[in-house]
Amino acid sequence: MLKNRRQSVNRPPTPDLTDDQAKVLTLQEVINIKLIESGEKEQLMELVREKLTECGWKDEMENICRAYIKKQGRNNVTLDELVRVITPKGRASIPDPIKAELLQRIRTFLVSAAL
Amino acid sequence: MQAQLICFPRVYISPVSVALSTLMSGPNGDDMPSDSQNMFFVMLVVFPMSIVVCVQLALHVFGDLLDSIIVDVASECHRIVRLGLERNLDEEEEELRLSAQARARIADPSNNVEANGKYVVDIFGQTHPPVANEIFDCMNCGRSIMAGRFAPHLEKCMGKGRKARLKATRSSTAAQNRYSRGSPVSTYSPYSSTASINRLSNGNPRVATGECSNGTVEEP
Repeated sequence: MLKNRRQSVNRPPTPDLTDDQAKVLTLQEVINIKLIESGEKEQLMELVREKLTECGWKDEMENICRAYIKKQGRNNVTLDELVRVITPKGRASIPDPIKAELLQRIRTFLVSAAL
Repeated sequence: MQAQLICFPRVYISPVSVALSTLMSGPNGDDMPSDSQNMFFVMLVVFPMSIVVCVQLALHVFGDLLDSIIVDVASECHRIVRLGLERNLDEEEEELRLSAQARARIADPSNNVEANGKYVVDIFGQTHPPVANEIFDCMNCGRSIMAGRFAPHLEKCMGKGRKARLKATRSSTAAQNRYSRGSPVSTYSPYSSTASINRLSNGNPRVATGECSNGTVEEP
């Protein structure tokens, strides 16, 4: 039993700060925190949701969901399955102008956050 | 575009280092810039791959946003279906089946569309008689009328035909409106009604001088 305890304490070593990979992760986390704190993330989410609903992307995704559920049977579908089914199609079917505008806004935010 | 940026890392770094120095010396929102901010700026200055990282970061953020939205859509749909609030799930199939059946019935040549003559069979297999046969009471005269004969009855009852006009002149108000042109007083009505009786003598001449018969009318 003591052995088990020791194993549970044995964590993998914390990543070294000089490691490139670790730095990229840290940067992403930093950006994420900045996004949330400044409220930009919330604004971006609302903007994207509105645009995607307008252009019918959301309804397409819902139709795919319903068709999948109808096929599988109403009580056999888990949320995880649904997400796994939709994600590739969702990412691929984003209209280009919306994607471009969103990326532009994010890059602007990154630059303004850096300066 | 990425390749171009990689070729000129020095050009990119210098404005950032200038900005960094101004930021360090100039006034800032908070007195002490946070550690994470410092680290961020240091990273950008030290690593020439920062441009690529910037683009990667943007894509990563975009992917994050998209994932959240997708999970939202999926969970909303999942909830509605599981709670049974999605009523279309089975009803659509039912409707599709019914309409397919109806279409098949129309296309079926053995159906008695012309053979029955009077009674036409519609796509649901119902037949309707040529004259509507529901019976109700006329609100004008109070008689029991069959629905299919209601319009002609109203014509007579309310005043399109000659006989109806005859009846109408008996009531004093109607006489003022229709037959007595230029005679405004109701005292003239007996004269006008007798005159009209003499003029239009057909059927049963009514001897109703001075009487106003509003409600009770007899059909010939």
